[in-house]
Amino acid sequence: MIGPDFPEVLRAAVAGDEAAFGRLWRDLQPRLLRYFMVVSPAVADDLASETWLGVVRGLDRFQGGEPAFRAWVFTIARHEALDWRRRGARRVTELPATGFVDQAAPDDPAVTALEGFSTRAALAVVAMLPPDQAEAVVLRVVAGLDVERVAEIMGKRPGTVRVLTHRGLRRLAERLGAVTRVRGLV
Amino acid sequence: MRRRFATPGAGPQPLDEDTLERLLAGDLPPLEAPPGYAEVAALLAATVAPPRPEELNGQAAALAELRALTRARTFPAGVRQTGRRSRRRLGLAVVAVAGALATGGAAAAAGGHLPEPVRVTARSILVSIGDAEPATPVPPPTGGGMGPGATAAAPSGPGPTGQAGPAPGSPVAGSPAVPGTTAPDTKGLCRSYLAAQDKQTGKQLEAASFDRLADEAGGADKVLAYCRHLLADDDKPKEGKQKPPPDDQGQGQGQTVPPSTRTSR
Repeated sequence: MIGPDFPEVLRAAVAGDEAAFGRLWRDLQPRLLRYFMVVSPAVADDLASETWLGVVRGLDRFQGGEPAFRAWVFTIARHEALDWRRRGARRVTELPATGFVDQAAPDDPAVTALEGFSTRAALAVVAMLPPDQAEAVVLRVVAGLDVERVAEIMGKRPGTVRVLTHRGLRRLAERLGAVTRVRGLV
Repeated sequence: MRRRFATPGAGPQPLDEDTLERLLAGDLPPLEAPPGYAEVAALLAATVAPPRPEELNGQAAALAELRALTRARTFPAGVRQTGRRSRRRLGLAVVAVAGALATGGAAAAAGGHLPEPVRVTARSILVSIGDAEPATPVPPPTGGGMGPGATAAAPSGPGPTGQAGPAPGSPVAGSPAVPGTTAPDTKGLCRSYLAAQDKQTGKQLEAASFDRLADEAGGADKVLAYCRHLLADDDKPKEGKQKPPPDDQGQGQGQTVPPSTRTSR
């Protein structure tokens, strides 16, 4: 979050102030990368770059506060992900390398996550959710957007987004609980 | 497709709205989480851990975009006042970028950025060239819109990847000149220009010469196609020169739809 400085930072960034733009970038780039790690992990870096291209181009037309700015950036991000998926040819590489199995396997990301909860492993676990649930969860948590904004970005009703996130978290709880039991950690 | 999670019969209990929101917001310490959700709280916390250094690479590329675009936005007024100069600036940039793309290594030297996305690198070169020409005072950034005039001077226009434009050898739309009526030395200039484009021979056109070509071609961005057309008519047997330069890096980039145009509906 930029916080109270946001309007001034945005104004300066629009005028081409690189320090100001850098603040916006540093605040959102990690979140963008993590969003893409969940929705299009194979091309997360590329899509984040493309998103910033869109942000730079549209910056002078954006109006609103910081939450709206975030929502706008993630709207662009989602379009990038959808575009990439439509291009489709490389779809296969988008699938997570590690398949999810009922019994915890040694390379199961859930196991890795429980051992260290590295950001990458945690995102890999979220990415195993059904796509809508994974996206709803990551937009709520990583992008830090409220239900209404996530609903708008995903083109769904707020109630639907609530259901998706709820189901997503329950599945995560089931999955992580199963891993914990298998490993005798409880 | 993705495999689904296993769904055991007796799983974690449903969450009430408030608990769900606190979990999502990271306001629920794992120890206070309902049964089965402690791991979820810890997992979600890991997804919003402070950035790692590798997540903050690439800022330079984004800043280069900003620089290029900020400059492009300041151009429209300048274009009308000093059309020739602006055209020349763009022309020089076209030559320099083509050369840099051909040699590759020059990219980092000119732009100061690694050539990760070539497009970005090319733009940063364009920008640095603009900086190198102090004659045109650039008005302070106004943030003024990206009206039609902006595209004329925008480095992201047909400049570096202009090869992708008109089909080589085909009649150039908007080209005012008819090859038969062209003064002989125009062809000489064109040859020099194309030679400098194909490989960085070091003999790039002087600005005045390029301006002249640009005038005849109907715009700095049309020079390449104009010259190819002109010389293709002249030397029919040499099919080879109708091919685009070997550095086909720009292929397809010109067609990229800016995300902003889709999102600003």
